[in-house]
Amino acid sequence: MPDKKPKDIFIEGPVNPQFISDSIAQHSTKTSIGAHSIFLGQVRNDVINGNEVTAIDYTAYREMCLEKMQAIREEIFAKYPLTCMHIHHSLGKVKAGEISLFVFTSSAHRKAAIDSCEEVVERIKAELPVWGKEIFDDSSYQWKKNNIN
Amino acid sequence: MKVSVLTFGEVADIVNASSFDLKDVEDTDTLKQLLEDKFPRLKETRYAVAVDKKIVNQNVTLEDASIVALLPPFSGG
Repeated sequence: MPDKKPKDIFIEGPVNPQFISDSIAQHSTKTSIGAHSIFLGQVRNDVINGNEVTAIDYTAYREMCLEKMQAIREEIFAKYPLTCMHIHHSLGKVKAGEISLFVFTSSAHRKAAIDSCEEVVERIKAELPVWGKEIFDDSSYQWKKNNIN
Repeated sequence: MKVSVLTFGEVADIVNASSFDLKDVEDTDTLKQLLEDKFPRLKETRYAVAVDKKIVNQNVTLEDASIVALLPPFSGG
């Protein structure tokens, strides 16, 4: 068992752009930071067999996600000289054009922030037990598949 | 003994339940076989098995109150 309770990364519904802006503003007091890197995942209106994706409905194996995310967090902090890292992933319905993933890394110099941000995004997509159900304009759906490189 | 089964994504659709209990299931292979017999579409579906939140790649003996999760390919982000 982890010795401390893992941070919750999930929020209900889309990530609000105002929340992202507020998160950036909250770092103005941390003056040792010289670089922020931000990844925002936005729901895309793919057209599949003539049907357009209007939203993605996310579900997760929450307890396993939080444990896994805690392990990823510890590995990333061991690998990169980061000041901080914040991760927020949507659950429930997120419409096309809305944000469903917000990864935010900060460090003294840019390389650590940029590289760790990319690595965390890739690991989230490959390792966290989260599923996206793509909802089409005719109310049918299919389970989303991630492209894992 | 009783184990809890959690299902997600396409697997939850196929078994038409997101959680249920099973009694006297010795190991993960037996559990998979039982469900695949009952829900043949599972045989054509890719999924991983996690026992108590850890993905297992081999047959694992189950204990009372084990939590077995059936995880189709992840698609977060």
